[in-house]
Amino acid sequence: MAILQVNDVTKVYEGKVTHRALNQLSFEVEKGEFLAVMGPSGSGKTTLLNLISTIDKPTSGEIIFNGTKPHLFNKTELAYFRRRELGFIFQDFNLLPMLTVEENIVLPLTLDNQPVSLMEERLKDLAEKLGLSSVLNKRPDELSGGQAQRVAIARALIHEPAIILADEPTGNLDSHNSREVLELLSKINIERHATIIMVTHDPIAASFCDRVLFIKDGEYFNEIYRDDRRQTFFQRILNVLSLLGGRVGDLSTIRLP
Amino acid sequence: MTFQQFAYRNVIRNFRIYAAFFMASFFSVFVFFIYSMLMFHPEIDDGFLGKVPIGGMVFAEITLVVFSWFFIFYSMKAFLEARAKEFAILLHLGMEKRQLSKLVFLETMLIGSLSIICGILFGYAFTKFFFMIVREILMLEYLPLYFSWEPFILTIVVYFSAFVIISLVSVNFSPERNIIDLLKRYNLISINDKYSKKRAILAILLMVISYILALVTNRMNFYPFVVLLPLLITIGTYLFFTDTTQFLVQIMKQRKNFFWKKSRMLPLAEQTFIMKNNGKMFFVVTMVSSAAFLCVGLLAALSSYTSQYDKLNPLGLIYKGHIDNPYENAHISSILKELEDKGLSYHLTRFEVKKQTSSFTNYEVEVFRESDINSLLFSYGYPMVHLESGKGMFIPYSEDSIKKLSKKTVHTVLKENNVPITIDQVYPELIFPSSIVSMNAIIVSDEDFLRIKRPYQWYPQVEPGYHLFTFDIPQWLEAQDVGLPIYQQVAKEYGKERYELPFYFENAGLNYSYVLSTYSLFTLVGLLVAAVFLLAAGSFIYFKIHTNLDSEKRKFDVLKRMGISDSEIKRLVTSQLFPQFFLPWGVALLHSFFAFFALQNLLKDTANISIVKEIVFAFFFLILIQVVYFYLIRWRFIAHVKN
Repeated sequence: MAILQVNDVTKVYEGKVTHRALNQLSFEVEKGEFLAVMGPSGSGKTTLLNLISTIDKPTSGEIIFNGTKPHLFNKTELAYFRRRELGFIFQDFNLLPMLTVEENIVLPLTLDNQPVSLMEERLKDLAEKLGLSSVLNKRPDELSGGQAQRVAIARALIHEPAIILADEPTGNLDSHNSREVLELLSKINIERHATIIMVTHDPIAASFCDRVLFIKDGEYFNEIYRDDRRQTFFQRILNVLSLLGGRVGDLSTIRLP
Repeated sequence: MTFQQFAYRNVIRNFRIYAAFFMASFFSVFVFFIYSMLMFHPEIDDGFLGKVPIGGMVFAEITLVVFSWFFIFYSMKAFLEARAKEFAILLHLGMEKRQLSKLVFLETMLIGSLSIICGILFGYAFTKFFFMIVREILMLEYLPLYFSWEPFILTIVVYFSAFVIISLVSVNFSPERNIIDLLKRYNLISINDKYSKKRAILAILLMVISYILALVTNRMNFYPFVVLLPLLITIGTYLFFTDTTQFLVQIMKQRKNFFWKKSRMLPLAEQTFIMKNNGKMFFVVTMVSSAAFLCVGLLAALSSYTSQYDKLNPLGLIYKGHIDNPYENAHISSILKELEDKGLSYHLTRFEVKKQTSSFTNYEVEVFRESDINSLLFSYGYPMVHLESGKGMFIPYSEDSIKKLSKKTVHTVLKENNVPITIDQVYPELIFPSSIVSMNAIIVSDEDFLRIKRPYQWYPQVEPGYHLFTFDIPQWLEAQDVGLPIYQQVAKEYGKERYELPFYFENAGLNYSYVLSTYSLFTLVGLLVAAVFLLAAGSFIYFKIHTNLDSEKRKFDVLKRMGISDSEIKRLVTSQLFPQFFLPWGVALLHSFFAFFALQNLLKDTANISIVKEIVFAFFFLILIQVVYFYLIRWRFIAHVKN
């Protein structure tokens, strides 16, 4: 069953220069799927993510989420929708500097006024799984990049959202930490059946997913499914990227696993 | 595009960024100019301000200059801090540090000149209005607007030099930082929440001790306290903002059931950061606001004193002397002559007051004769007193005492002469000022008064009574020069350790002119300084918030993505801003509350007026201003983080 349906979504930015960021884009995401969205710069990836995360509204078309249509909600309902149904992972982590690690992790539950006992229970569970138990009382500025992103992942998971949205989660990490984070995401995807939508530039990151959706200039371009070997999946991704018009060199550095 | 054009376009096209700094400078110039207009008023030499010493005004002006320089310097620093990223881009593009200084200098001079011009123009436009207020406060006949070059030159010189010096100093003495740090400010905010528990507790101790000391202040220990108290409170306040606040927040953070709630976690965690970064500034704001509160409170107290003055001092002149006072005849006839020379009408009453011992308290009572009192009451136009033999009436010594004594009935015997008296009423108005009569003064009927033959039991060691001459003068203000030589003798004797003259003299008109001139000085100086202080204290906070707006916006962007509604944003902003505005003020209010308590204790012995009502009113007004200011800033803040 599709947990997310994107139907003919078009987004036009009005302004001094009118700009069509997305053009009649349609796709579906199944429950428990790990989807990567790829495309060159300016292809509308971030716009798409903003639309799915409901902080922006489509000009036309609709996004159906588990049968509901968030774009019909009012602002407060949207806020409640985001805090319960969505989890976010950002490129530059966006941990709040004045909160400690554990406070950052429980923040979504705090916003939702959940009981402290529930927070502590889930925190303990997640911290063990993500290897964060030893840093719970530190501040974000005392963490390495990989640790910081794991904290952000914990924050995105603690309220058990229906969909996790990741915007270039490995963009600021070195190859070792990237790998760790990606393996963690696919583990979560498998173990918890979490639905993850990841926007990325990095073909390696994309090769960890079940399916890669390519968009170009705001339009659907292609999609490919994962096969048994990641190595060949990676190669196929590169092939599509080179077809995408840009050269491979336009994309971020390729690191072979 | 030349370099000058670049600086010019920077300012003119981005005026919104510069607006806060411009407004701060503009207000300083505005206030300073208006005040200078008053100081250079041509009629000040003619003594139009009564006896307001020009020295006091110059002192206020200097305070104003020093403070506004400090204020501009601070605004400048905050302003440069807010533009750090812009400078980083310029440095990144290869601008030299020297060129950057030049850019800042040019921009500052442009804004500075604009604010000087606008400040003076608006200042001149509002001078007439200000003069009208001054005229009302000082009860002057007229205070015309004038034109003269001095205030203009003074304002321009003071502020132009301020802008030159401050722009040079603030760029060249700002700490050297890497471009990369400037470019990526938000990510590099490092949080240092270290504090010392000992100092946190010491701060509370110091403050509690000084509050207790303030409560026990009286005339005896006034001088050591006046040095000790401000010292203790200053140290205590400083430590309070650097350590105690951290300590308290930490305690709250440790209680997860309390802390991990939506409305608390974010704002409270934010406080650690705010207090750590701004603790010193809050300390300055607190001390400055306390000073401003004190000014305003003193003004209120003084104004109540002046408005109650003729009620507290119903008599124009009072001459009091021992029964064997050798100067009596000479003094009284000279006063009478002076009054007649001036053509002032008066009503003279001579009292013979006898001291007796009351069997009820075993203390002395001062006994007045019914017909003497009635003669004075007649000239006041107050109702007369009619007492039967054996009855007595209290003479009130203050407004409060009227209520207190009216419920009291005393059966006593004047021991020396065995005269029984029942005192069951009080005269419902103040007859004498409180410095003249004792707290045990009664009126008895003529019949009883004549029965007092034997003198006071401690005679001759203690005076057995006194003679009192009261002059009720309807135009008492014009009698202020009457009896000046006698007054000077009395004033001189007052400076000595023991008062040994056989007479005492009081001239209400003269006293009033002193009180009034002191009051005028305090009003002018105090209002001005308080206004500037309050303005500055508020602006400090504003600038600090302004500097951090970008990182705040980032924070709220993250929160919005995570799902936070508009009303929750408002609530978060409120609880985040609230302590910044009201903690320094709350502490300042507490400080000045205790300071006034001490003041009230001191005044009780001298003036016997209550300043509670005025203080409450003044504080209420100040809090109202702050609340308005808070909502203004909150509104701007929310508008900024929301879009």
